[in-house]
Order: sequence, then C-alpha cells, then structure tokens
Amino acid sequence: MAPPTIGARLTPAVSIFALLSLLVVALPSAQEVQIINAERRIDLTSHIIRVFLTLKVESIGTAAVSEILLAFPPTEADHLALIKVQAAVGKRKKRAYVPLEVNPTEVPDAPNGTKYFTISLLNPLKSGEAATLEVLYILTHSLEPFPAEISQSESQSVYYRDSALLLSPYHVKQQMTFIKTPSTKVESFTTVEPTNRASTELKYGPYEDRTPYSYSPIIVHFQNNNPFAVVEELVREVEISHWGSLHITEHYSLLHAGARHKGIFSRVEYQSRPSFSGVSSIKRLLARLPPRVHSVYYRDEIGNISSSHLRTDVQKSELEIEPRYPLFGGWKATFVIGYGLPLQDFLFESPDGRRYLNFSFGCPFVETVVDKLTIKVVLPEGSKDPSAVVPFPVEQRLEKKYSYLDVVGRTVLVLEKKNVVPEHNTPFQVYYTFNPIFMLAEPIMLASAFFLIFMACVAYLNIDISIRK
Amino acid sequence: MGPKPIASPVPESWYPALSVLMVAIGLVVTASFFIYEATSSRRNRSLAKELTTGALASFFLGFGSLFLLLASGVYV
Repeated sequence: MAPPTIGARLTPAVSIFALLSLLVVALPSAQEVQIINAERRIDLTSHIIRVFLTLKVESIGTAAVSEILLAFPPTEADHLALIKVQAAVGKRKKRAYVPLEVNPTEVPDAPNGTKYFTISLLNPLKSGEAATLEVLYILTHSLEPFPAEISQSESQSVYYRDSALLLSPYHVKQQMTFIKTPSTKVESFTTVEPTNRASTELKYGPYEDRTPYSYSPIIVHFQNNNPFAVVEELVREVEISHWGSLHITEHYSLLHAGARHKGIFSRVEYQSRPSFSGVSSIKRLLARLPPRVHSVYYRDEIGNISSSHLRTDVQKSELEIEPRYPLFGGWKATFVIGYGLPLQDFLFESPDGRRYLNFSFGCPFVETVVDKLTIKVVLPEGSKDPSAVVPFPVEQRLEKKYSYLDVVGRTVLVLEKKNVVPEHNTPFQVYYTFNPIFMLAEPIMLASAFFLIFMACVAYLNIDISIRK
Repeated sequence: MGPKPIASPVPESWYPALSVLMVAIGLVVTASFFIYEATSSRRNRSLAKELTTGALASFFLGFGSLFLLLASGVYV
C-alpha cells in the first residue's frame, strides 16, 4: 500500500496550519523546510543499535525556521533510549559542535501513528539558509532473533527491520544509508536499488528527490554473536555517611535477551570447543567502577560468588564477574554487588552552602541495557530539602530508611528511569542542606545511653529500700 | 581550583587510634567510679562527685564506641 500522497492532503493541511498559526507557532511543514542531504550510519555491531544521522536542512519558505521535526515510526519510537542532536558550527579547523535541545512533540494528523521530536535551533534559519545537524539516536530491543530458538552449537542470527528511505516530514533531495554488521556473515538483505555490499558494510543509496513520509521497508538478516546482556531490573542504593564513606549496593536481575536456548546444555561440549559451542552465551561481564574502590563483594542468594577479578588503577577500577553458569538465550541470573568509595571523591560543597553528591547514573557494566533502573540516594539523618539535577528526564520520589543509630530516619531520594543504555553513564547531582552540628547527634546518643546506665547504678546504690531500719 | 570536597571532620586514619585511646580512658574513669562506690559508705557519698565521674566516663565511652564502630567499617 503506497503511503498517502502529500499533494492531495496539502490544501486542507495548509488551511489548517494557517488557522493554527494564528493561535500558536506552527511546526514547519514540507513547504518551509527541505533536507538537502541526509546520511545515516547504522551501527549493528552490538545488540544496542546506534544510528548517526547527518542532516543538512535548508529553509525554503518565507518565514524564519527555528524548529526542525524528526519523525520515527511508532515501533522505533517505543524502543528509543536516547536521542542527542548537535549543530556543526564553523568550518574545517574551527569546527565546533553545540548540543541542541530535543523534545518529543505531538503533531495532529500524524500519518500511521508517526512519533515526532522537535529540535530547537540556536539561530532561526532565514529563507535560503542551510544548517548541518548531527543526530545520534540509540535503539534497544530492536534486533529480532531469527531463528527464535537455537541449540548450544548454533550461531545467533537476527533480523533488523528499517526503511531504506529516511522517514521525514520534509522533502529529501539526496540521501544514503550505511549499515554496519558485526561480521561478514549476512544471510540476506532486502535490495532497494541501488544497494551494495562490501564486507561488513551495506550501502543503500543514493536516493534522489523523495517525497515526505516516503518509507521503503527493508530487512537485514545477519549473524550477531554479541552477548545480548539485558538487566531487567537494577536497584542501586548509594548510602552517604558524613564520617567518610560512600557505600553502594546494587541488585541485578540479568537476562540473556537473544535467541532462546533449546535442547540440552552439555558442559563438556561447552568447555571443550569454546569457539563452536555457546558462541553467543554470556560468559563474563565487565563493570567499570571509580578508582579507590574498596570492600567489593559479589554474592547472590546462595552465598558468595568467587569467580570474579578486580583490577584497580589510579584512574579506574575494573570488576570482571562470571555468573555461576553461562547464560544462554532466555536464562536469568540474579546477584548483588556492593562496594565502598571514599567520600571526598564524590561529596562537594556548592557555592550557596548546600552539599551535593556528584555520582554517575546508569549501570557500571559495559554494553548492557537496563530495562528499569532505580537509584536510591540515602542521605544522612538531619539532611533537609533534597533535590536532584539529572541531565535527562527521570521520575523522582522520596522514601524513608531506618539504619544504624537512627531516630527520625534517613531521607531517601529515589530516581527511576526505563530503558537505560551505557550512554546514560553521565554524572548527576543530588543537593541537600546539612548542618554539621547534627553529626554530634550520634556520639551524644551513645554517651547518653552510657550515662543512663551510670545513673541507674547511682540510683541503685544510693536508694535505701530496706524495710528494717 | 575545582569544587570543594567534603571529608570527615576527624581524619579517617585517626579512627583506630582514637577509638582505643578514648575507650581506654573511659574504662579507667568507669573503674574509678565503681571504686568510689565500693569504698565509700552511704553517709559519706557525694552525689556531685558520682554524677561528674559518671558523666565523664559516659562521654569517653560514648565517643570511643562511635570511633570503634567507624574503625571497624560500620559507617554510621
């Protein structure tokens, strides 16, 4: 079924836009903006899909354009973990990149449920001006394993579904798409002329003069033996103690999200032929931790898991863990990792007198997707007005926790986010006010407990309760 | 000159030494308290002396037990 032609819908659309423009600033239509050149580079080497899109947009209408629309099919928009846009400023050696704000938008009359994002430009584009935008967006859970079930000795092959043409509400004069596969083993790919394949790169294009909302579905079936490590749920608890330490406890639920395992698991075959058996299984995971980490433990409900290595450095620490069993498709593992960090690396004083914790969001494991991430920052007793500054939208709420020597309980700031990728491992801050005199509350509580014992002794020894005089 | 880091008011390397010292002094004062109680008769006891000795002992024992908890890794 051909996508609806824009010509027949243009006249009523223009009148609707004219009406809307009286009330609100209308989003630029296909008459105001066109894309001169679009180059898409899709990186399929991992189970997390990274797409680098370079757009050269030109303003062709009469009004100045300050916003550009990006369109995504609804299935892609649901799996979108991160979208970042930069504008290229300057030429050649003086080239600099300025980050731009991207926000999801609702557009009325979106064809086939298309979802949109608006890029806010720094300087509005006047008529005839062009700008180059670099877009990076990351998709998770978008590679479908096919065959859906494999045995221990088979390789994992997946489908990648996309469009050879860039889905855009504007005219695209010229576009090309490059797809990079992890190996040269590509079972099949849809051909939309002109298509070429050279070792690990598939090239779709160049395509000239395409109308808005043109879409040409393609399927690439290729072999991807990267471990599809997905953490279904991660709860990270960061406990701050003003006496000098930060303690972190992380609860993981790990899942292998690739092709499901069928048949038996033979340990003999797995260990004797590692390059043939279980090539897509998760054997080990690497976590990048901050330097000067101490007291690291790795345990689960059974007890301590000793198959781990910790390598510390001046600049970073690396924890390599092996689960009790290798994870095949559909298999799960749950474990707890905890470690301590020195306080002065992470807690600082802000110029307005408040204290803030500077810590990194996200999962410390490399190349893992977290479906649901919860970070709980436990502030010491006596802290007031907690607030978090996070570079991307998260859900926040407050809880209370009772720990050592607590009377009123500790305030816990809970941050939740869904669909987290390694690019989210950026620092975030939690601000709170704390009067240092409250630190005396703990020793005074202990001292008064001892004093009560002494007074009980004094009372017992001095009070005369004998009946006989 | 980056942001000002916050550290503990007492240097962390002092925790074990401080805990041993304060608990030792606290126990000595506790001993003196109980010796006074045992050697003096009810008539001669001075409440003020009992209270001061008790307060001093509980102060040292309280702070000493806090540093003991910190030195053993329980960061309260």
